[in-house]
Amino acid sequence: MSAAQALANPLAAGPAVPRLPAEESRTPARHRKRRAGAEDWVASLVLCGPAVLLYGGFVVLPAVLGFAYSLTDWSGWTRTPHYIGLANFRELAGDERLYSALRFTLFETVLIVLFFTFGALLLAVLLDKLSCMKGLIRGLFFYPYVLSILVSALLLKYLANYNDGAVNLALRWAGLGRWAQDWMMDPQLVGYFIFGMVAWSSLGFFTTLYLANLQTIPLELYEAATMDGAGPLSVFRHIQIPMLMPTLMTNSVFSLIFGINLFGQIVVTTEGGPGYRTTTIGYYMYWLGVINNRQGYASAVSLAVFAALLAVAVAQVALLRRRQVEL
Amino acid sequence: MMARRRSGLPAFEVLMLVAGVIFVLPCLLALLNSFKSNTEIIAGPLALPARLDLGNFDYIFRELKLLRLMLNTLLMCVLVIAALVTMGSMAAYSLTRRRMFSGALLRVFFLAGLTIPFQIIMVPLLKEFRMLNIQFTYLALFLHHVSWGLPLCIFIYSAFMSTIPRELEEAAAIDGCGQIGLFWRIIFPLLLPCTVTIIIFWGLWIWNDFMQAFIVMGPERGRLVFVQLWKLLNDQYVKDWGHILAGVVALSAPVTVLYVLMQRQFVKGLMAGSGK
Repeated sequence: MSAAQALANPLAAGPAVPRLPAEESRTPARHRKRRAGAEDWVASLVLCGPAVLLYGGFVVLPAVLGFAYSLTDWSGWTRTPHYIGLANFRELAGDERLYSALRFTLFETVLIVLFFTFGALLLAVLLDKLSCMKGLIRGLFFYPYVLSILVSALLLKYLANYNDGAVNLALRWAGLGRWAQDWMMDPQLVGYFIFGMVAWSSLGFFTTLYLANLQTIPLELYEAATMDGAGPLSVFRHIQIPMLMPTLMTNSVFSLIFGINLFGQIVVTTEGGPGYRTTTIGYYMYWLGVINNRQGYASAVSLAVFAALLAVAVAQVALLRRRQVEL
Repeated sequence: MMARRRSGLPAFEVLMLVAGVIFVLPCLLALLNSFKSNTEIIAGPLALPARLDLGNFDYIFRELKLLRLMLNTLLMCVLVIAALVTMGSMAAYSLTRRRMFSGALLRVFFLAGLTIPFQIIMVPLLKEFRMLNIQFTYLALFLHHVSWGLPLCIFIYSAFMSTIPRELEEAAAIDGCGQIGLFWRIIFPLLLPCTVTIIIFWGLWIWNDFMQAFIVMGPERGRLVFVQLWKLLNDQYVKDWGHILAGVVALSAPVTVLYVLMQRQFVKGLMAGSGK
């Protein structure tokens, strides 16, 4: 998604904007260029070379190697991988644990997308209405996003654990001890625990995207609506929602990718447990590749998931484009 | 806007303030309880500490050699940011302004990096570090942070660079300024707002990072703040929440102070990541 979005954005459009002055001075520049061809080459190499080298070597090369490894039986860091064709991909089709990871990831993703698309929207509209203490209140809601995921994980672990977690202690203190739960390790609840942690720590990010969009709504629209006697609800329904459509779409794409890639939060809380209950696709790849020494198979899984994700994101961006044109 | 103009509406603001405080309650609770012993915490998580007990912090700082870890992490931040700012700004300049190497191909090459999830490159990257014989080293982590950050960094710089008028460079070129000198003397100073954004974004990212350091360096060799905090907790069989919360508070304190002092820049800097 971000590539498609970015392609439409300044990087691609960058040089096009100030073309006119460049056009004017083209003749002398071209003369100079022809004389100083070698110097030009050196300058470009100095400017671009290090970035191309590092990024090519440690991002692109591993990504390409991932393709190659997915066709091998590579297991164990020191062993040599052997070519086994598409066997990994055939195994993928019958991998029960992969399906369970897929189900859990989808469950989390649905919750995350709904919350960050609509929950954040509501919060942003409320925060936009503030007439004083704006910075303070927005600052409070954004604050968890500044913290490390390990910090948010530990804080919520502290609140939620069974024996001495603050939530259960408070319940017992209030005489509601039978409501006390193992919020973090109960197979029924753990999915909501993970969602709660993600929702709490990243709500500020998605709300801020909406807030930025809300600032762009022209005041005249609100004025016209008030003159027509529209209440806050119909302003929300007929002005804010349609004007927020672009951000609503971006937020849904961002949160989709966020949900599908859910990984770090699992490592620092449940490590995929209890059992395999909270193993997400991301965690499953990590478990296969780093812990369980099935690097070849892990590469195959990650490629399949990446392809699926790319397809979904492209479809979503296409949808976004069409909606924007309609508006 | 209507609600804004209806000035005297403190009830709503107060309500939202209360909601905001409840939202950060886990952090306040952590701060409160980091000054209490574990038994005190279990006896009453909401009670004020009987006395200002710094024992938890004392333990955390001694046990983790926390100052040393903080220095390590800070050094990593500085080095990665320096590399990103230098390479990212130069490459963005070359991509947006110069003819050579600036074909659409190279742009797509860098933009593709924004779509790759870390899990895809994780395993082959570790293998590559092993082959280069730099596995579990700071060098490996540094290389990973820089190369992984470059696409976004270039993207942010490029977007900003299109707002700088071209006449400047042309004037400088006619005055006989060398090509690299032209960039550093004329363009780079103009990129300052963008550079600040990048410093904040990656400063926070690397300070807060647990996952990348944990995977690239492992729990033993990665002498960085959050990796070692995780290791300390993982080694504890019975959790001592006093120690845990003190660690959390100590490591979040620098970030929090900076956030309170420069909230606006922080939000702006962090939102730059929405390109990713």
